[in-house]
Amino acid sequence: MVTIDLSQVSVREGNEQIRAAGAAGHDIEVLNPDARHHIGVGLIHPVKVTVRGSAGYFCAGLSDKANFIVERNVGWGLGDNMYNGSVVVGGNAGAIAGVAIRGAEIVVKGNVGSRAGQVMKKGTLLCAGNANFMAGYMMYGGRIIILGDSGERLGEDMSGGEIFLGGPLNSLGSDAMLTDTEQAEIDDIRAFLDRYEIPFKGSFQKVVNAGKKLRYGTSETPVRSIPFFTFSGQSDYWNQKVQEDVYIKSQIGRYRVRGYGGARAVPHLTDIAFRKDITAASIGDDPVGDVEMKTLIGGLHGAKPLTLTMPVMIAPMSYGALSRSAKQAIAIASGMAGIAENTGEGGMSDAQRDAAKQLIFQMLGGRLGWNIHDMNRADGLEIYISQGAKPGFGGQLMAKKVTKELAEIRGIPAGIDLRSPSRHPDILGADDLVIKIEELREATGYRLPVSVKLGAGRIRDDIKIAVKDGFDFVELDGMQGSTGAGGAEVMEYVGIPTLSAICEAERALASIGRRQDIEIVLMGGIRDGVDAVKGLALGADAIALGTSAIIAGGCIACMQCHVGQCVTGIATQDPEHEKRYKAKVEAQHIYTFLESVRWQIAAITKALGHKDVKQLSRDDLVALTPEAAEITGLPYEPDRRNVDLFQAAG
Amino acid sequence: MCGIAGILFKHMDIDRDTGKALIDMLDGCQHRGPDSTGFALYGDDHPGQIKMRFYVGTGNEAGDAIGRLREVFAEQGAELVEDEQIGSAYRAVVKFSGDLQKFSYAVEHAAKVMSIGESLEIVKDIGTAHDVDDGYDIHHFRGTHGLGHVRLATESDVKPEAGHPFWATGFSDVAIVHNGQITNYWKMRRRLERRGFEFVTDNDSELIAVYLADKMSQGIPLKEALRTSIDDMDGTFSFLVSTKDEIGYAKDHLAAKPMIMFENDDLIAIASEEVSLNRLFPGKALDTREPPPGSYNTWSRST
Repeated sequence: MVTIDLSQVSVREGNEQIRAAGAAGHDIEVLNPDARHHIGVGLIHPVKVTVRGSAGYFCAGLSDKANFIVERNVGWGLGDNMYNGSVVVGGNAGAIAGVAIRGAEIVVKGNVGSRAGQVMKKGTLLCAGNANFMAGYMMYGGRIIILGDSGERLGEDMSGGEIFLGGPLNSLGSDAMLTDTEQAEIDDIRAFLDRYEIPFKGSFQKVVNAGKKLRYGTSETPVRSIPFFTFSGQSDYWNQKVQEDVYIKSQIGRYRVRGYGGARAVPHLTDIAFRKDITAASIGDDPVGDVEMKTLIGGLHGAKPLTLTMPVMIAPMSYGALSRSAKQAIAIASGMAGIAENTGEGGMSDAQRDAAKQLIFQMLGGRLGWNIHDMNRADGLEIYISQGAKPGFGGQLMAKKVTKELAEIRGIPAGIDLRSPSRHPDILGADDLVIKIEELREATGYRLPVSVKLGAGRIRDDIKIAVKDGFDFVELDGMQGSTGAGGAEVMEYVGIPTLSAICEAERALASIGRRQDIEIVLMGGIRDGVDAVKGLALGADAIALGTSAIIAGGCIACMQCHVGQCVTGIATQDPEHEKRYKAKVEAQHIYTFLESVRWQIAAITKALGHKDVKQLSRDDLVALTPEAAEITGLPYEPDRRNVDLFQAAG
Repeated sequence: MCGIAGILFKHMDIDRDTGKALIDMLDGCQHRGPDSTGFALYGDDHPGQIKMRFYVGTGNEAGDAIGRLREVFAEQGAELVEDEQIGSAYRAVVKFSGDLQKFSYAVEHAAKVMSIGESLEIVKDIGTAHDVDDGYDIHHFRGTHGLGHVRLATESDVKPEAGHPFWATGFSDVAIVHNGQITNYWKMRRRLERRGFEFVTDNDSELIAVYLADKMSQGIPLKEALRTSIDDMDGTFSFLVSTKDEIGYAKDHLAAKPMIMFENDDLIAIASEEVSLNRLFPGKALDTREPPPGSYNTWSRST
């Protein structure tokens, strides 16, 4: 038995000692916890931890196999994301007890706060006292047992799993319904109660998903898709695209869903230009050899930074929206190019991990695929708040795409219509966020950079919160960013342009004198090395490419990513379609494209008179339109609209 | 974007370590808001006298503001008993028996008022609980009850006057600390402005304070005003309010903002996180309660 006294050591030191003791197979006793946060997070060994008092937020979070006993109360997020193992709490638990658990047994002898078991996947959460507002909110699987009052809106928007209620039902949540219990289920609950020595002789009611909200009433009429250039064209008012929209809406009676990014013309990087003429002579024979492009991202607060051979990353795209083969191709190409790949929502596959030399692991509100073991093998951790294509919205993945393998990696039952929440269970403000970031750092021993993905909206406030809460870098995504599925009008009209996003972010950070405390990775409609250099000159430390990478890897831009029948095998989970995708061949194409980006970045940087991409600045740029000048504050030089960059360079 | 704390010692004894207790509680949840820290403290009172605290800045700016304030005191018939400049604040005790609401609007035009009351004094500034204590000597403060707040700011300058607690502009001894946001702020504010109330910030916490103080000035008990506030305010909020003799809380129906409380025969303490409450009793596991969504309550010194 190892004893750790938290009145003598910090939680960080305490957790290091807990993990070391766990690895050595020793049981652990924690004295004077005094409701401190993050006790025991990241423990992955089958030992017993006894907390002599009350614990704070995320007690036993991101752990596996260990058995915790907390003598009195716990704060928010008890057993967050816990795999196997157990926690027994003698007193009350705060909000979101058992959030996102993936197999653990969580027992609270007193009451639980609101949203108990939110987005849980598997395992059992038992509340021997009263539950509170929206217990079982958006749960995907597993079992909640409540012996006291249900609280209001029990089972709100649950997709899967079961809730057994021994006390009075206050009210049912949206899309939840009562159903009959089976004797075997009740016998199993009795055995569970006996095992944890909880006396209860009453009967149970059972609540499950009612299945009324998961599907659209009418699906979209299949039509031959309009090519992107027509689609985005500034043609006649009642153009082909508008007519098609009206026709389809006349059939389905709702907004349309599609893949890809916004097509509406908004001020963009094309509306700014380089101040200097770029000539073949100014580029020289070997710009890549002449220009320093190595970029470190994420090391500002002591973590091991990502080491990029050029200031470029792959934008987060999920296995789920994209096929396993497409993700594998991108990962291979990123490794060949010496840049970082990103898992997006939905978890990390072995193929992707093995192929990508540097991999950022993204955490979304549904905690789909999120777990301590993949965190430990990631090179960076990222908290997704929103994305440029559809800021503020969650996603839906229809049952057709939720295959057995995909369900397993996301920790959900196969074949359910999957809701991705638009917000996190435990991030309801900057104040909660700071505790969440700390949890991720504690669980992984402060080794990894922690970033935030922000869809550009209220950037002036959001970026200040990001820096004050201590993120290492921000992935800033403008409204030209793409998505696998989103409401058509949302993609066109919600969010702010990438150009505005970077300028507002720079101004906001300058106004509080904190620019040096965070790094910015800019994305959202960045197509090539020319756009990349403009983004860097506007202040970004690196840029990220999503859509251009998948086009390089075979995407035909049909915008039907959401349907799941992608003919190229990129945006599908159908094995017949995926078979068409040759990951190794496409990886080579993506890599070749990335090398073209590298050459362009080097060539332009050199032609602008710099030896290092870090020397790029706003002084290298002018604005071509009044709108772009207003947004960026760059000098307005309409005469340069007619200078063709490549002609001049050729 | 913040953490809140409140404590009330139940017995009539005025001589309690209120300042030190609040420093400990706020230090426990400083991670929730590193930019600024504030205290609403209730000490002894003298009949006929009111205590006033202003934000005046430093140097000439402060001198000018203090000069203007002294003129307004004279114009409004307030007799200065004592005054001092502490940090960027100016504290004055005056004898005054007129219309307090009118008087407070008049002094507001001379300098930023932080608090006015017979026993209330609000101290708030940039920095942590210990920073503010270093500047304003909070830990020696003896009193009956008080509130505290730590804040993460998103505006360009972290201004001391934008920190919490907020005084209910125009109403003696009413203070509030709030975690969350009121989404029908402008609608509620216009409703109150039409009835002649003035607002000195665009902060939703000031709105809650004035809303409650207005109800109380109509003879409605604090507890009842808290009940109606939950239905009248939209948004996510957990807030604490204090008057000369009472402390109370309200929590919205969505329960998105944390709050936890501990009560024994001697005191009631409420905070965003249990770690703050545990600071008052190191090494002891407390029998705490989390208030349910949509709930409210008050405690007063005399019970």
